[in-house]
Formats: sequence, structure tokens, C-alpha cells
Amino acid sequence: MCGICGSTGVGARDRVRRMNAAMVLRGPDDEGVYIDEASRTALGARRLSIIDVEGGHQPVSNEDRTVWAALNGEIYNHPALRATLLENGHRLASGVDTEDLVHLYEDYGEALVHALEGMYAFALWDVRRRTLLVVRDRFGEKPLFFAERHGELVFASELDALLAGLDGGADLDPAAVDAYFVFGYVPGPGSIVRDIAQLPPGHMLRWRRGAPVVVEPYWTPEALPAPEREDVGELVAETRRLLESSVRSRLVADVPVGVFLSGGTDSTLIAALAAKASGRPIKTFTVGYDVGAVSEAAEARRTAHELGADHHELLLTQSELAARAPGVLASMDQPLADQALVSLHAIAEHARREVTVAVGGEGADELFGGYPRYRWLRRAEEAGARIPRVPAASVASLVRRAPLRRAGRVADVIEPRALQLRHLDWVTAGRRAHRARLYGPALRGSVPGEHVVRGLEERLDRADGASTVRRLMLLDQVHWLPDDVLVKADRAGMRVSLEIRTPYLHRELAEFAAGVSDRLHVKGGGKALLRTLLDEVAPSPGPARPRRKTAFRVPAADWLRGPLAPVLDRQLAAGSAFAEGWFDRGQTARLVREHAAGEDRSSVLWPVLAFGLWLDRLRGDEVR
Amino acid sequence: MATRSADLRILLISPDFPPARGGIQVVAHQLAAHLDGEVRVVTLGPRGPQDGVLDVRRARSITASGPPAVAALNARAFREGLAFRPDAIVSAHLFAAPAAAALGAALRRPWVQYVYAMEMGQKPRLAAAALRSADAIVAISRYSRALAIDAGAPTARVRIIPPGVERPAERAPEPAAGRPTILTVARMAERYKGHDVLLRALPLVTARVPDAQWVVIGDGPLRPALELAARRAGAPARFLGSVTDEERDAWLGRSHVFAMPSRDPGGRYAGEGFGIVYLEAGVRGLPVLAGDAAGARDAVVDRVTGRLVDPTDHVAVASALIDLLLEPESSRAMGRAGAERAREFGWERIAARVGELLRELSR
Repeated sequence: MCGICGSTGVGARDRVRRMNAAMVLRGPDDEGVYIDEASRTALGARRLSIIDVEGGHQPVSNEDRTVWAALNGEIYNHPALRATLLENGHRLASGVDTEDLVHLYEDYGEALVHALEGMYAFALWDVRRRTLLVVRDRFGEKPLFFAERHGELVFASELDALLAGLDGGADLDPAAVDAYFVFGYVPGPGSIVRDIAQLPPGHMLRWRRGAPVVVEPYWTPEALPAPEREDVGELVAETRRLLESSVRSRLVADVPVGVFLSGGTDSTLIAALAAKASGRPIKTFTVGYDVGAVSEAAEARRTAHELGADHHELLLTQSELAARAPGVLASMDQPLADQALVSLHAIAEHARREVTVAVGGEGADELFGGYPRYRWLRRAEEAGARIPRVPAASVASLVRRAPLRRAGRVADVIEPRALQLRHLDWVTAGRRAHRARLYGPALRGSVPGEHVVRGLEERLDRADGASTVRRLMLLDQVHWLPDDVLVKADRAGMRVSLEIRTPYLHRELAEFAAGVSDRLHVKGGGKALLRTLLDEVAPSPGPARPRRKTAFRVPAADWLRGPLAPVLDRQLAAGSAFAEGWFDRGQTARLVREHAAGEDRSSVLWPVLAFGLWLDRLRGDEVR
Repeated sequence: MATRSADLRILLISPDFPPARGGIQVVAHQLAAHLDGEVRVVTLGPRGPQDGVLDVRRARSITASGPPAVAALNARAFREGLAFRPDAIVSAHLFAAPAAAALGAALRRPWVQYVYAMEMGQKPRLAAAALRSADAIVAISRYSRALAIDAGAPTARVRIIPPGVERPAERAPEPAAGRPTILTVARMAERYKGHDVLLRALPLVTARVPDAQWVVIGDGPLRPALELAARRAGAPARFLGSVTDEERDAWLGRSHVFAMPSRDPGGRYAGEGFGIVYLEAGVRGLPVLAGDAAGARDAVVDRVTGRLVDPTDHVAVASALIDLLLEPESSRAMGRAGAERAREFGWERIAARVGELLRELSR
């Protein structure tokens, strides 16, 4: 786990100390700083002890102290790497994975990235070559922000920490705020703050004094051509082999490990495999609510019982959840409007009393075709190819006004539009249409037109020629997954010093899934391979087996009318989001009134609220 | 003894036989060619040049494979058997077991079932029935034997006789000069062959051996994905598809390491039954890299004829490949040992062991 940071140039040591201090929650157990005085380069690390609790001080070096490394996260193939390194004659001083990095670097140089399986962001300083290498894992599980100032580099695991290391205030980037409002998260490789970037997933950064910073990919998710016909049983066996291996590797820790169990396919499968792999009863954690999807918790409880798990259920009332929401939203280093963040934070906090590591189901939907929109949007594309555009547009507009349940969804499908727009409006509930009225002067006019859509087009271009479903899966893997799902998991965990591990985000599993026919992936309600595998390993098969992922959901619309209404009012009265002109106070107030009157405006109000709370904290923290 | 063996009449039933290509085709063909005695082959498929040299009878079927072909093969084999009245019957594949068992019972003659690997998991009921009633079972490796016992074979009736190699050389050829080359020869139909792991290992290999290349011979439905993944990664890989035997041999002569890290696929799916291709590489004096799994453990002697490594660990695979490419002395020694070992697997010797088993049973 942990947090890392680093700096080159004058004042590097001081900057690193400040950045370390800003990451105490990421790493409460230990702190370390390395400084190369001659080269004015410093690395810092805060540590949450998980493996080799006593001996894992960071940064670490090789035998002759010519290579130094600081690591945030876990290298899951550490035991195998260690065995190979020992066989190749290396002397290892500790049992920690960070040490693998320096020795692998000795053997393979920058190609060491190809040896690693895990969730990580790390920095490596080569004393002799005076080169700094900063690397982020393949899926973007661990964050890494950086800034280049006058040829010097400063980086940190979180934006707040980086800001603590930089001189001067946080100047928000209007284009990023615009993208945040549309998506509900800040898409990389930029950040919400001007001139601060995120290292994209699967990329490495190379810095040498006097040379431009180089950022280049070492791994990218692919859409691969799948064999026409394959034995499904064989594919399920391969899925099982890989997932079992992944689960085993993610259970390795010198501290207690638990499993987040939501009652859906993804987490049930992980829990079942973890129970098989673990010598003792596993600890499972689930959240239940006093309204809504109560059966979910019941399903989780039943599964846990059948697995012989030590089950922990957190029952949250609406008022409790709503009470914690403002603090959680404000505590993000970049604004995040994902409503599930609040409940994930709650369950993480609950689990932290028992365990230091929890395993979750993140990534299964993106890699194995779980989202219903993949099937819907494929139908839309297929229909679009057959129906002439003009009548389709008229029909869509009629359907949209019809008093039908899901009228909007059906209209979205019928209306002739480019795939990226269809997808965007599907996942964001058409938020982009509200921008013209809702944006304040700081955003109006200063945002390049439709850069958000162009960004999506660029990402989709990489999968040119692939099927609709495959292109959407790939888009989710490089956009929604790293910038929303994994930010949520990392920050919700880190705010309570809990490490969340994700067995589905396993390189080989992802590469395997990328070469399986997408028709098969989305068959019968999605995630066909995982569901078939679950039937094989589930404790008791039957009709009660979960079919759909339900995740940890929250009734945000109700909160905004109830317990969060006063928070919204306070925002309207004195929030920085309005004072600084990011959003229009009058228009937002109108939406709040409409929402209170019964219209559902939560898809617009929630991002505004999350942004406002985040910005207030940022401004309050800032010393000007 | 010699006169007795010369008199032995053997019926060999196999769904696979040249001119079709594949492992079982080779086993059936080489047994027919080298078994001491009068051998009649009943098989499927179009006639080939072998038909003029050996006694080959081909069942006619409306389909090339599948249930109608299997039924036709068994019907023809049963008729041929009644007419030929063999001393012993060899079923070269589980699909030929019904006729072999029926003839065994009808003629009161012993019959032998050959087993490899994946077919036992694919046809568990047929396997159980055949393996319980056969007088002896020839498993091609310890792994194959374990699978047979799992499938229902009585332990005492299982013999391990590996497949053989053709044309084992008297002396290992000189090692190749030129660009460091890793060669893989395998069908690209099953994922367990480990092409994916080699592709992951390649950037680590080239970090240490910058001009190394990977030459891939073989074709199949997995090829487009592998080829695209290799191209996107900028890997120094050449996919040659299916090639002639001469071309394959030329590449064996030009390469420095033969690599095929086959793994155990798990579930009811089996891995490498033996991996004759490892011995064939040995014939050419090549050190081999194989997965420490399934039948390859019998085909390769670790650190003698090559390296057996964890086939799911691409870093271990890369590390072994680097050793094999960068340590020419020990690689050459492994190549020599491989060539020497291959001579023990000449088809004459292997067929003699099968002949011995048949004589023993028919006494």
C-alpha cells in the first residue's frame, strides 16, 4: 500500500518531507526519505505495513546502493520473482517486494516493468545514470500525479500531497472541471489542477536533468481477434486457472485479509475461490441498508454462511450514510461524483476494524462484458445500420416524450448518433445537455467546445475495426475503470488505511479475456464465463444464485431531498463552487427546487455537490 | 523368439493416419512400419503413399470425422478383424476401442489401448469403459499413465512406452551461428502450449539479448490474436504459419533454443501428453525449454537436455531462455545430451517394446 513521492532540484528534501506529511493516512506505519545530495534528488515513502511488517522500510536500495526505489502498492508475483532473483545470484536483504524492483532493474533495466504483476506506482532512482524512472501499473489501480517545473520533476501518489510539495496555489483547469461535470470523474492524463498531470496506467516516465520528460506506454489493453468457435468449457477452465492463481496471490499478507461480498456474481466468485484457497475461514464484509436492496445483504449472508466465512454485516441507515457523505466527498484529492463512494468508504471503515487488506470485485464488468449497456448499445448500432436516419430521429423524439418507463433509454437506442455520444449520454444520464445553463463564468467560454467528446473519440480510435461491444469494453478499461472505479477503491480504502486488492485486474486474465469472443462475453446477461465458473465453484448452485451485479448502491436522490438538502443549501449560500464562478447559483437553485418538488435531478446535483464540497476543503487547506 | 515374432499378426486400428498430419498419425504409422510381424492397419481418410507400402484398409465415411466416421471405422475394423484373425489388436486411439474390444472378445485375443492425454478427459465414459476392458494400456508418459488411472484404468495393466523420434542423428549437428533465435513449433489451437507466456517473456529476453528473435511455426485459430498482440507490443517475433517438414528442419538447424512452455490447463482438460517435439529438437542438437508440467517431464531432463520451468511464470521462462542464449557452452552440452537421448527413442526401439508387450499378452 502506502504513498510515494519524489522531487528533483533545489529544496527536494524539504518538498518530499512536506509531501510525506500529507499522506499519513495512506501510510500510517512508517516514513522514509532518501536523498541523493549530489544530484539533488529525493524519494519519499509512507508505509502501511502488509508484508514483512518489521523489515519493510522504504526507500530501499540494491547491494551497492546505486539503485533506489519507493513503491506504493503490491507486486503480486513477488514470491516467484524472489525465487528467480535468488537463483540468478542476487542477495536480498529483506522480504519486501520493493527490493525486487532494484534487483530486477539491475538485470533488465527499464524492461523490469514487463516482469511485474500487481497494483503499483513506483519510483526508481539510478544513481550512476542519474535517471529517475516513475511507473504506474497496467490498470491504474495506484495513482501517480506529477508536475514539471523549470525542468525539475515533482511527483506524489495523491494530488493533495503533490500540491503540498509545490509552491503556490491550485489553479483549477476549466477543461478538467468541464470533463469532471460531464463524466462525474476527472479523466486522465490531465488533472483538475492546471499543469499537473497523471501518469496514465501502463505508462512509465523517464526524467534526466536537462532532457525533456519522456512518458511512454509499456502495456495497453487490447481488443484481439477471437477464434470463431471455442470450447466454452476450456475457456472456463482457463478463467478458473487464472482467477484462482490471482486470488491466491492477493491473499498473501502478513496481516488479516478479508473479502468484500456484495451478493453479486463477481464478489461471490472471489469469495468462493478465496475460501477454497485459504486454510482458515475467510472474513467477509457486506453492507445492508434500512431501505431498498435488503435482499442483497441477505444473499451475501447466505453465501458467507455456505462458505463457512466469518461474516460481518454493516447495516447503515440512510441518515448515517448521509451524515458521512459530505466528509467523504470533500476528502477526495480530485472531485469524484460516484455515488457508491460513500457506501464503499463505510464498508471499508467497518472492515478495517478486523482486517488491513480486503479483496474486491472491481474490473470484472469491464474485462468480462458485464454492463447491460454493452448489449443495448450493440443493438442500437445494429438497428442504426438498418433504419434510415431521418425517420429514426423523429421516432426517437416521439418515444422520448411518451409516458413510458425506460422511454429515455429506448429513445437513446433509436436516435441516430455516433457510438461515443450514445455511450456518453448513457453513462452520464445526458448531463452534458445541462452545461450551457448550469455553468458559471469561470467555465463558460473558457472550455474548448466538445473536447470531452473528442477525448472519447481518440480513445475509441485505438480499437478501430473491433466490434461495438469490444470497443466499449476497451473504452471502459482506459477511462471509467482507472479514473472512477479504481480511484474510488483506492481512496475509499486509503482514507481508512485499508488496502483494497482486485483479483480481476490481473494481467494474464485481462489478456486472456481480450482474446475471447465478445459475443460470448455478453451472452445471457453478460459475464458468461464468470457466471459459468460460479456455477462450478459456488457452494450451492440453484436459482437463488446471483445473476446481476448489484454493488453497493445508494439512493442519492432521496438523500438530496432529505438529509443532504441542508448541505446543498449551504453550498448554494456560501460554496466556493459558486463564489468562484464555476457553477451558476440561480440555475442550480432552480434544479434544487425542481428536485425537492419531485423531479429527479440527482444526476446533475450530485456532481455539483461533490465538486463544491471538495473545492471548499481545497480552499480551506490552502495557505495563501 | 524371432520366428514367433515374425508370425505375430497385428491389427492396428486408428482414426488418424498419414497423409493426415499429427502426433497420433505418426504413432500409428511408425508402429505399422516398425512392429515386427504382419501388421494390418484399419483407418479413415484418403489414401496416401503409405498405402502402397503397408497393408492399409480405409473405412469409407460420409464425414471426415465425428460420430459417423468413428462408426464407419469401427464397423470396418470389426469386419477386417474377423477376416484377418490377428494375434493381437492395437487401438491407437480411444475412438477405435469399441471394435478392438469386440474383436478381443469375439476372437479371444488380447487387445491394447493407446492413451495420450486430452482425449481421456473429453470422452470420460468411453475412456472408463475402454480402459477397464483392455488387456493392456500403453500410456506415453507418467502423466498419461496418471490420467489413465484417474479415468479408470487398472494400475497393473498400464505400461509406459513413450512415442519415438524419426531419423535420430548419429551425432549432434554443430550449433547455429547468426541471430539468436528461439523457435517454437506447435499448433495454435490450444492455449496450453504457452505461446502467450513466451510473448510475455520476450521483452525481458531482449533486454539481455537485444538481437534475439522468436520464430513461431504452426497455425491455428489462436494465431491472429497472438500475431496482433506481438505486433502491437513491437516484439521481435516471426509467425511463419504451417511450413513443410524441410522448412521446419531448416529452422531447427538455424535456431539456438527450442521453446514450448506447455502448461497444465486444469479441469478436465489435459496438457502435453509427452511432447515428441522436444525430442525432435534434441535430434537437431537444440537445448529445449519446456514447462515443468504434464508429459514434458518425461520428454525433457532438466538441466541435462534443457530446462523445465514453471510454465505459468514468464519471468522464470525469460530467465531460462536468457541462460540458454547467453551460455553457449552449457547450451551446446544440453543439445548434445538431447541428441544422445533421442537415440534411445528411435522408432525401432519403441516399436520393439510394443511388440514385446503384444507377444507377452498373446502367449
